Amino acid sequence: MMNVMVCVKAVPSTTEVKMDPVTKTIVRDGRQSVINPFDASALEVAVRIKERLGATVGVMSMGIPDTQRILRDCLARGADFGVLLSDRPFAGADTLATSYALMRGIDKVRARWAEQGSGDLSLVVCGKMAVDGDTAQIGPELARQLGFACVTSVCEVLEATEGALRVLREVDGGHEEVRVSLPALITVTKDVCNPRMPSITGVRFGMQGPVDVWGAADVGADPGRIGLTGSPTQVVRSFTPERASGSTPIEGDAHEQARAIVDMIKEMA
Amino acid sequence: MVEIKPLSADYEEYLRDESRTVGSAQSISFPRTEQEVREVLSQMSDAGVPVTVQGGRTGLAAGAVPDGGHVLNLSKMTRCVGLSPARVDESGAIDPDGAFLLTVEPGVVLSQLRKDIEDKNVDVRGWDEASLAAWRALCDAREHFFPTDPTETSATIGGMAACNASGARSYGYGPMRSHVTALRVVLSDGQTLALRRGQAVARGTSLDLVTEQGGRVHVDLPTYEMPRTKNASGYFCAPDMDAVDLFIGSDSTLGVITQVELELVALPRVIWGVSCFFADESHAVEFTRSARAALRDAKAIEYFDADALDILRAQRRASTAFAALPELRDDARACVYVELQCEAEAEATEELWKLGDVLTSSGGSEDATWVARTAVDRETQRFFRHAVPESVNMLIDERRKSDPTITKLGSDMSVPDECLPAVMRMYRETLAEQGLQSAMWGHIGNNHLHVNVLPRDAGDYARGKELFNRWARSVTEMGGAVSAEHGVGKMKRDFLRTMYGERHIREMARVKAQLDPAHILGLGNLFPPDTLPLPVGSEAAGHATDDGTREA
Repeated sequence: MMNVMVCVKAVPSTTEVKMDPVTKTIVRDGRQSVINPFDASALEVAVRIKERLGATVGVMSMGIPDTQRILRDCLARGADFGVLLSDRPFAGADTLATSYALMRGIDKVRARWAEQGSGDLSLVVCGKMAVDGDTAQIGPELARQLGFACVTSVCEVLEATEGALRVLREVDGGHEEVRVSLPALITVTKDVCNPRMPSITGVRFGMQGPVDVWGAADVGADPGRIGLTGSPTQVVRSFTPERASGSTPIEGDAHEQARAIVDMIKEMA
Repeated sequence: MVEIKPLSADYEEYLRDESRTVGSAQSISFPRTEQEVREVLSQMSDAGVPVTVQGGRTGLAAGAVPDGGHVLNLSKMTRCVGLSPARVDESGAIDPDGAFLLTVEPGVVLSQLRKDIEDKNVDVRGWDEASLAAWRALCDAREHFFPTDPTETSATIGGMAACNASGARSYGYGPMRSHVTALRVVLSDGQTLALRRGQAVARGTSLDLVTEQGGRVHVDLPTYEMPRTKNASGYFCAPDMDAVDLFIGSDSTLGVITQVELELVALPRVIWGVSCFFADESHAVEFTRSARAALRDAKAIEYFDADALDILRAQRRASTAFAALPELRDDARACVYVELQCEAEAEATEELWKLGDVLTSSGGSEDATWVARTAVDRETQRFFRHAVPESVNMLIDERRKSDPTITKLGSDMSVPDECLPAVMRMYRETLAEQGLQSAMWGHIGNNHLHVNVLPRDAGDYARGKELFNRWARSVTEMGGAVSAEHGVGKMKRDFLRTMYGERHIREMARVKAQLDPAHILGLGNLFPPDTLPLPVGSEAAGHATDDGTREA
């Protein structure tokens, strides 16, 4: 039987996000947060694989304690267990520190599976990106940390077996069909499938099913590689860009136009 | 003075509404104020020109389709006029959880009103200090909403009052009438009535009204008994009734509504939608009956039959517009949607478990459900529910390409609670007997199903129409209503005669004659042409004038 992990993120439900003036990061009070829509599709991909091939599906997130609410909703929609990485030292993480923490969490889950004799991790499914940060970095970074092959922007799962996936991925100007051996990590677009709604049976499981909350020490994380300390990215300033109006027509042939643009960029710099 | 324009080709769209019937008219006006409405009505009354009142023209009963004369289109009367709290305590403080009363003009569109209330972005320019204070209190209070929710949100508030509109949530909140606390009405001679609930009440079946100009109008109310079910058929009547109720649902035949005071109520903090799928219609009916008794917080109970689900499945495969619909299980042959509204998640959860118990004991399964607890899921379910009628309309549009004379035939009848199984049996047996294709959906919680006959040719269409007449008779025998929410307009006036009988139709005509002695308002609505216009001095009109009961 396959073991699948899905990584999800709680994102603000509206576009009116509040920024912390000191840390320059998004204020996450949890009340308004919802599951990142790409991650909802990722969960659906995993649950469909579970229904077709038989699998255990775990769902993992890093966030404030209220994020358990979203993990429980994932259980209602077909996941078997949830893990929340929630600890003050995790706070302020950039994508590198986040993917490291997720890797540590996933390693702990793998160790548990090994102890239970339940086999190893076959597949990690992530949303292509989060709608708040828009980086699309977590999936590839996590794959690197896990040492898994990575296929990004999957828009259709054409075939799934216990040993491999055949998928269609979005690329510039079209699609690319890829066959990837497992274990692997894929990131999915929203179009990959319509997320299901939970049933009453699902809601019952969501309320009672297992959700663990692990801190940095629980997953044996190196304090230097998590949170703000472990984040090479530092947000220096965040601001709302002023809308510039007006346009400058550029005349001439392609060569002359390119030169004019280069000159303008030099001038701006 | 508002301009009276000839009804030229530029205004042809004002000869139609969503009933897909086309009328005729000689002139049209778009008043912006009540004073302008008065001027138009005085002028038309003097000239004896019939006046058809229009709002958003979204009605399905042709109430806004003119039958000659003048079209009085109120779509330019879109102001929100003022606000007051429904409750204040002894110190004068406003209860933020209580209702607020918003006064609007009739042309306000429902979707815009909802958005403005949700965004707390109502145009308050020109409001007095008391209204502004109430507005500030509403902005500080928890979210409020206007509960009446017809599917067509481009309907106007005036139109909704005129036909006593309702929607899915009428199961929990009642129809439009339950949320209107005051009206301003212009009578056909230009006099005005300011009606507030509790202030103009009938004594038995005798109602005396005084216009703001000092005119007195005596109305002899009809004596029929209203059906014990959701109803939008003809004039509301009951002993000691409120005058506000007479004008709501009157299909613009008694006066022109120029202001409506609406009740905005606190939005429940937790709203969960549950779609339950069944392998058999009888299980869905059994579930509905049990759920009504068991669920305290259900505010909507809606139904979709196997034919409706099959049409939806086909559209989902054929059209990318429906690709976002969730996949339906193959064994789903009936669906009941229940909306739970509670103050806390714990209460909603308790109701959900009760719903699950009822489901299991009615032949359903907790596995075959969709539970929407998030905004995204609620939107998906809304899309699903609205996709059903849309899919059926697309199917009919396709058929009309080969035979333009056919249209969908949609019923709007309701029966008392105990008759739900009987009426469902009647629909099934008669549709099968006639060999007609159909799709059924609607407000099963109120025993109010829209049975849609989908004619394949002119023969089907004729058989369908005849079947509707039979249903009207049977529903009447069950103590039901021939129109539960769309109003009667011009499309269902024959059903109205079946429902109330000749004597009671005459009583309704007398009410109209007393309030609109010139017989100019809503010509063709409610009454067949052979009932009205009644010449002045006839039995009904004479009653109004001979008693000296109508004097300006």
